[in-house]
Amino acid sequence: MALSTTLRDYGQLNPERWQQISRIFKSAISLDPEARNAYVAGQCGSDDSLRAEVDKLIASHQQASEQDFIGGMAAEAAAPLLIIEDEVGPPQRTLSNGQHFGSYVILDPLGAGGMGEVYLARDTRLDRTVALKILPPDISGDKRRMQRFRQEAKVASSLNQPNILTVFEFGEVGGLTFLATEFVDGETLRDHLRGKKKLKLVEILDINIQVLAALDAAHEANIVHRDIKPENVMIRRRDHVVKVLDFGLAKVTEKKISKDDESEAATAFKTAPGIIMGTINYMSPEQAQAGATDQRTDIWSTGVMLYEMVAGKMPFSGATSSHTIVQILEKDPLPLTKDVPAELERIVLKAMAKDPDERYQTAKDMLIDLRSLKRRLEVQAEIERTSSPSTERPAAIGDQPRAAQGNKRGVVIALVTVMVLVTAAIFGISMWRSTRERAKLVTPAAAVPATVGERKLTYWITVQKFKNGKPYQDPFPLAGEINFEATYQIRVNVQSPQAGHLYILNEGPASTEPEFVVLFPSTTANEGSSLLAAAQTVQIPEKSWFRFDRQQGTEKLWLVFSAEPVPELENVKQYANRKAKGLIPSAAENKSVQNFLTQHSASKPESEPGETLTTLKSSGNLLVYALRLEHH
Amino acid sequence: MTRPPQHEITQLLAEWREGNQSALDELYPLVYDELHRLARRYMSRERKGHTLQTTALINEAYVRLVDQKNVHWANRSHFFAISAQIMRRILIDHARRHGYAKRGGGAQQVSLEEVAAITPNLSRELLRLDEALKSLAEMDPRRSQVVELRYFGGLNNEEIAGVLNISANTVTRDWNMARAWLYQQLSETTAN
Repeated sequence: MALSTTLRDYGQLNPERWQQISRIFKSAISLDPEARNAYVAGQCGSDDSLRAEVDKLIASHQQASEQDFIGGMAAEAAAPLLIIEDEVGPPQRTLSNGQHFGSYVILDPLGAGGMGEVYLARDTRLDRTVALKILPPDISGDKRRMQRFRQEAKVASSLNQPNILTVFEFGEVGGLTFLATEFVDGETLRDHLRGKKKLKLVEILDINIQVLAALDAAHEANIVHRDIKPENVMIRRRDHVVKVLDFGLAKVTEKKISKDDESEAATAFKTAPGIIMGTINYMSPEQAQAGATDQRTDIWSTGVMLYEMVAGKMPFSGATSSHTIVQILEKDPLPLTKDVPAELERIVLKAMAKDPDERYQTAKDMLIDLRSLKRRLEVQAEIERTSSPSTERPAAIGDQPRAAQGNKRGVVIALVTVMVLVTAAIFGISMWRSTRERAKLVTPAAAVPATVGERKLTYWITVQKFKNGKPYQDPFPLAGEINFEATYQIRVNVQSPQAGHLYILNEGPASTEPEFVVLFPSTTANEGSSLLAAAQTVQIPEKSWFRFDRQQGTEKLWLVFSAEPVPELENVKQYANRKAKGLIPSAAENKSVQNFLTQHSASKPESEPGETLTTLKSSGNLLVYALRLEHH
Repeated sequence: MTRPPQHEITQLLAEWREGNQSALDELYPLVYDELHRLARRYMSRERKGHTLQTTALINEAYVRLVDQKNVHWANRSHFFAISAQIMRRILIDHARRHGYAKRGGGAQQVSLEEVAAITPNLSRELLRLDEALKSLAEMDPRRSQVVELRYFGGLNNEEIAGVLNISANTVTRDWNMARAWLYQQLSETTAN
């Protein structure tokens, strides 16, 4: 598709049309939205295509302003282009497209720099695409260090942590040392930060949370990255999953700047300024002094990265490498601006404590703080969204008139808050809203009396792929192991050959107090009745899909199928409406649900997993089963 | 590199201002070289933060290239106008030369390296903006020039108003319209 996008014809218009649009646009954008609509309508009259052009342009204008499109200077945005040629010269390619390299075929260059060349390649043995890194000879020459790198890279990769780039192979062909890794179609965090869109705080937190998840796993295995910086963090294009690159490599590359193993790294920087430009800004004080480093050095670097992302500038940046090192060792970073939450500043400063003992001691601790801050911000955003009249969702059937709701909003908001904290982070909060259409009515009147002594329930999970926010391809039943992408969404389907009372509740990842969300029955599903007809299929959610967010953990879907109505659950099904969002409001009620579930889940039903369907069987009149959805 | 004598550039600027287009042909490479050299020097000095102060850079080029004793008030505007064009040229040349621009998908993998982080997205976006700006120029040369002066030349609205001899309000309106249109064009092609 080479350059096809740059050479396409842009939407040119004839000059009269352009002038016409421009005249309306000019006045329209100076008006407030309501007056604007009327004005545009009046000006365009019956010319619908003119109206469409003007509207489109006004929308673009708003988006362009919000994103500060071409707001900076071209030369600033494109400055790196100037550097590349000057500092490195035009990239030298060792391998050419189509060339065979061991069992790999080179497809395309992906990049090049001081630390080697990277190619997109095809592994002909396994017929998969990989990124092939060719290490420069001065680095690969040191056998002892290479051995260590090989080992650390292998261990890090074998952790199978989704945020750690997988290393497939480490080898040598024709005297060239290479590293074959998972190919990530995306960009580095460095490029991501240079992008035209300013990152939202929640996105920044999310990226750092994922980096810390990678570090946490690596640290557990006693591997320190030592070179955390935006250049070593990739963001996958399709789902924004973060991958940390080059575990174990930093130790090897120190060789490059320090000929003598024992010489101080800091000296090397002074004598060879520029060689390791960029890296040094993320170096911890103990690294700068060539002292002993441990996992806390990665905490520091993550703190620097987080600071940079939030503040838009590096915390430590001097005119020369030595100035920067002095700052790292002695200076406190400038405070963050007022609009940054105080909690975030606290986290950043704690990560960047000069004394490693005063820092977060583990990546997990920092991750937990960032994650709860992120949730808090999401809750705040949700509160703002729900309390803003203009974005209020359409009134549901049976909703009171708006005026009458007045004081109740506070209650609703409080519920939303709890719910978001506990579960919505996993299951999109949009589920109630998107079940606007009533479910098809199933009359359970002719229910077959339940066979005493046995309960049978079958469930299966449907997966829907999403691409650019839209469903993509047909949904398919989950069977065996699939490579579950973060953009996939799911739906749980339940059916029984017997009639009976069905309840489905969601319990989020463990928290101190039990909190449940009632998913079935709801006011829209089954007419609010828990009575399920024989062979009736219930799908949860009915009209939309569950979406995982990046929070990891085990999500429980409790399936309760009983011959008789279950009083503990009949009482809470009242909350399964759009307004309460299924959230059980009182601690006492949650507790009683929990008691019921734990009491009865002790006798696990027999499970017969099939290709796609799983059938549960329990003796007695009650079946209680927790369907666990692991999310990594 | 030998620097062209100041009076020569000053003279060329004056001739160009008076309508001699061939003066521009002579002027162009001289200013190009100077701006390019300065840009690189600025980058090596500033590269830690990757910032490049376009205005400061063009100002410096102006002071170096143009004889300040014989300076006509309009020379400065003209110099900035041509410099904006040249900055655009320089950046586009770099983007084009940047081998990876041809990778339509912009796929990339990185990064053991630091400063030389690969920037295909940057190149591609810049090239696309340039193309869209050319389209705009065919339809509406003045608005396209406003974008060039502001985005590539680093001029503020008042300076642009001076160069184009229009009011600052008109510059703002032109900018809004041009930016919205460019945004629309680029977002429509982003899907590829």
